[in-house]
Amino acid sequence: MTKQEQLQRILRELKQALPELRSIVVASTDGLPIVHDASDAPRVAAMAATALGLGKRISQTTELGSLEETIIRGNQGYFVVYAAGDKGVLAVSAPADANLGLIHLEARGFAARLAQAL
Amino acid sequence: MEPLKVVVAGPVGSGKSTFIRTLSETDVVDTEALASEDIGKLTTTVALDYGTIHLGDQLLYLFGTPGQDRFDFMWDVLSEGALGLLLLIRGDKPEDFVPARRLLDYLTSRRPVPFVIGVTRQDLPPVWGPEDVAPFFGVPGERVVGLNATDPQSAVTPLLRLLELITAEEMAS
Repeated sequence: MTKQEQLQRILRELKQALPELRSIVVASTDGLPIVHDASDAPRVAAMAATALGLGKRISQTTELGSLEETIIRGNQGYFVVYAAGDKGVLAVSAPADANLGLIHLEARGFAARLAQAL
Repeated sequence: MEPLKVVVAGPVGSGKSTFIRTLSETDVVDTEALASEDIGKLTTTVALDYGTIHLGDQLLYLFGTPGQDRFDFMWDVLSEGALGLLLLIRGDKPEDFVPARRLLDYLTSRRPVPFVIGVTRQDLPPVWGPEDVAPFFGVPGERVVGLNATDPQSAVTPLLRLLELITAEEMAS
């Protein structure tokens, strides 16, 4: 299986595990989409990289250890960006009534799998 | 005297992060990530660079933008409240001049503040000098300054020119 096929498969499994997610983007840490299930992947990929990059810097400066995820919560939904190793980010968006704890439970595991595959 | 916010923008690899790192009196806040494409260097700015410098008594806040177009949403975010713009371009990459000109037009149309164009890599000939670049951008020569972004004495010169322009504009209004 090629790397791309591997990543596509992980994406599919994540979608099945969390059907309430509105979009999923796996991107490089410099903001380019790698695999995704989103209508505006290039834009989301760049913003996810920016959010995570900024989060990493804040985490470093305020001594939080290595950054794992950053969460943006609007009154109509969530956007969560997980670090996927040194080179990747996993960005998901979910509706406001989604169970964030459940999302974290699943998504963190998938982020780790993506880190291996990237 | 109020601190003065300056945005440092320009194409990828023009020397924005280097410039701020060279000049900042405080620890630079940077946001580097590994570059997944070939941009001639290992890392790239994904959010911003932030540094500060005094020019005489005047404190300047320097906000560096990412270079790639995909991060253009940051330009507005970082330009908020800016009183001056420094556009950096690599003097040894003329193919960047056209996109840089578009960027300059975009930024100054959204926020008409005094600006200076800094032509970097003057220490690494062959390189276009400010006098060659000015006509290309259609701006008077005083708005284009050559610099070596790794040398503090050289790097400060476009900021000094920008401060002159900002001060002159303030006095005129």
